[in-house]
Amino acid sequence: MKSKGTSNGSSTKSKLRLSPQRLNEIGLAVALLLIIVFLSLRSPFFASFANMWAILGDAALIGIVAWPETLIIIAGDIDLSIGPAVAFWSVILAELMAKFHFNLGIAIILTLFGGWTVGCFAGWLRGRFGVPSFIVTLGLWSSFRGAAQFMTNSLPVSINQSGLMNFLSGKIGPIPTPAVLMFVLFFIFAFIARRTTFGRTVYAVGGNPRAAMLAGINVIKIRVLIFGLSGLLSAFLGLVIAARLSSGTSSAAQGLEFTVITAVVVGGTSLSGGRGTLLGTLLGTLFIAVIGNGLIILGVNSYFQDVLTGFLIVGAVLINTIVSRRRE
Amino acid sequence: MASNIVELTKVSKRYDNVQALFEVDFSIAPGEVRALLGKNGAGKSTLIKLLSGVELPDEGKIFINGKPIHKPSIQTSKEFGVRTVYQELSLIPGMSVMENLFIGSWPTSFGVIDYKQMRTECSSALAELGLQIDPDAILGDLSIADQQLIEIARALSENPAVLILDEPTSSLGAAEVDRVLNAVLAIKLRGVAVIYVSHRLSEIRKIADSVTVMRNGSVVESKEMSKIANHEVVKAMLGDVDMMERERIGRSGESSSVLNVSGVSFSPKLVDINLTVREGEVLGLSGLLGAGRSELLQIMAGIASPDHGEVSLKGQSITGRGLTYTKRVGIGITPEDRKRDGIFPDLGIDENIAISDWKKSAKLGIIRSRLLTRFTTQIVSAMSVKTESNRTLASKLSGGNQQKVVIGRWLFAESQILLLDEPTRGVDIEAKAQIYELLRGLARSGKSVVFVSSEIEELELVCDRVVTISDGRIVAEHFSPEFTTNDLLLAALGASEKLEAE
Repeated sequence: MKSKGTSNGSSTKSKLRLSPQRLNEIGLAVALLLIIVFLSLRSPFFASFANMWAILGDAALIGIVAWPETLIIIAGDIDLSIGPAVAFWSVILAELMAKFHFNLGIAIILTLFGGWTVGCFAGWLRGRFGVPSFIVTLGLWSSFRGAAQFMTNSLPVSINQSGLMNFLSGKIGPIPTPAVLMFVLFFIFAFIARRTTFGRTVYAVGGNPRAAMLAGINVIKIRVLIFGLSGLLSAFLGLVIAARLSSGTSSAAQGLEFTVITAVVVGGTSLSGGRGTLLGTLLGTLFIAVIGNGLIILGVNSYFQDVLTGFLIVGAVLINTIVSRRRE
Repeated sequence: MASNIVELTKVSKRYDNVQALFEVDFSIAPGEVRALLGKNGAGKSTLIKLLSGVELPDEGKIFINGKPIHKPSIQTSKEFGVRTVYQELSLIPGMSVMENLFIGSWPTSFGVIDYKQMRTECSSALAELGLQIDPDAILGDLSIADQQLIEIARALSENPAVLILDEPTSSLGAAEVDRVLNAVLAIKLRGVAVIYVSHRLSEIRKIADSVTVMRNGSVVESKEMSKIANHEVVKAMLGDVDMMERERIGRSGESSSVLNVSGVSFSPKLVDINLTVREGEVLGLSGLLGAGRSELLQIMAGIASPDHGEVSLKGQSITGRGLTYTKRVGIGITPEDRKRDGIFPDLGIDENIAISDWKKSAKLGIIRSRLLTRFTTQIVSAMSVKTESNRTLASKLSGGNQQKVVIGRWLFAESQILLLDEPTRGVDIEAKAQIYELLRGLARSGKSVVFVSSEIEELELVCDRVVTISDGRIVAEHFSPEFTTNDLLLAALGASEKLEAE
């Protein structure tokens, strides 16, 4: 017997009973496999390694910011500012070099620091004054995009070629660098969520904020930190996108926040807080990336792709909800 | 007995592998008040569910007003005249009293809500229960007792034949309880059969005609109230389990003081409170609901800042320093509303406990599962939490076990002073006895416990000293063993009478 808890006879049943979250993850993994098999049969190109790596490259642009968003949603909050934040920080990076002639290293450090600081500030407004995070980040959503366009007049600001930028937009072996970064960050965040006191406290705050306060937890600090992390990784994704486009672009990452929230929710994280896993979000991210890629390969009309995506997403969450309600 | 309004014969119900009810016979006549007792899990809730049409029995028959129930339908059960008032309030805090009273069936004229008529009907419905509550008041502004009474009035407004009250007084203080009991008597006089679920023997004595005691899914006793003594009822509920010892606690010398409250005022609840908590004592805070006990506890924990006055721990001021700080210096507090403010439902027992002091089971912020298991297992067994594994989610535990986990959290943090707000509310008798024993043990080991309870009769079982608060002031101090529940009750009530006289 491996686990102590299930060593007596009466609990054979509970051993087989999976939590709704596990069930959702398995269901999502199976759905993902079925879609991949289906698409592979329809198009030999889909199954090629080159395309698989390309899908992971696309997924990275969602995943990198979906990890901190998962923590935020588990904590019972939401961050809507991601897309504009990514565009804004890519512009800031480019402007720091073009206008202020900073070298790349310092520009990157300043950008990441800026992302962290603005994120922490949003978290502080949320935690200290209780402004709903929906509103705080909706404000940022508007201001980030506006500021980026105002500074650049909506024109891309080019960034000179350099080793580091080429690395960020390049590949490690056959794998796109962003995909590798996504997986590295995934393991870090999964570890944070499961094994660190900070991560578990995030679950506690999301599950019952008043109880967290009454257990002597500094709830404000937790909220500042999760939004800080989200800001930091948004700025980081800004770097990756700037490298990919060789410029700071104020119109980049349109609608990314909704794709990211979708990935988190499809992955089984509860919008009301307290429940969710990074693994679920990873599967949700891959699910979205595969569907996006597959619909293009099948040659579906690009407007109609959005229609189908909408149905698939609602369908996935619907099945998840029905299944987990049965289990309760 | 054709006159019985409810008739259950040999009713059984199973959930998975739990036999919730086994061949239960139950009947009640119009105008009868029947007390329904039993520990948590004895089958009371299942019986209520069957009567209110939430579920169907596996075997046996249910007749209401002579009509059999065939399908699980709350609607049908309502049509037959059964109304249930559950422990959790199901009212809408933001709406007025009258809107709540007639919710879903508001009187209208020409399709528009007729507030005038609603106000009149509301007033007369409330008057019938002896209540004077403004129909236009916003429900959320009322006391919990008044809200509970509105809930009962609502059930009654639909002219039920049977009214089921599930622990209507569990969150009320003594004075409020009497208002509910009076309302129940008024209902009885209307010829309504009342099934009254409660753990409080004293109030059952006052209103019940008969009593049914359940244990492990069966009815073990069903008698007229006058033909059964209290200790027989308790014995029937507990079975062969040892009854709790009514041991008297000796006065524990004059030990050194640890926590001092001086001149604390907190408008409008507290006026000039002076209080000392001593080492190794269980100090009871008695008083009616709303007397300001919870507020005082929060001030003592440093969560709330008083308007005037100071709280100091061993000479060091901790006034309003916040729980993150006071936790470090050894203060722990458990909230009154355990479900809402106490537990983290989606975390395991272990994490629910360890969250008060992560450092003990983590290095550099990374949790060591070996340490976590070792330390939390100690707490789980010290608190005798009933569970298969200490990873079980807190939401799966019974109320008593959840309470033990919430208290255990502060043992884990090695708090020296435990401020416990209603730790025994909604907990079954067995768990209560365990909690009493635990509090005594804590005091013996030199910790200080401040124990707030609305069930005044339990204070004399656990406390070395009891301080009574009434209308925001300390009105009495009693030392064990030189007081009885009656003394405490008089202290709590006496002051309010004095005020009225002024």
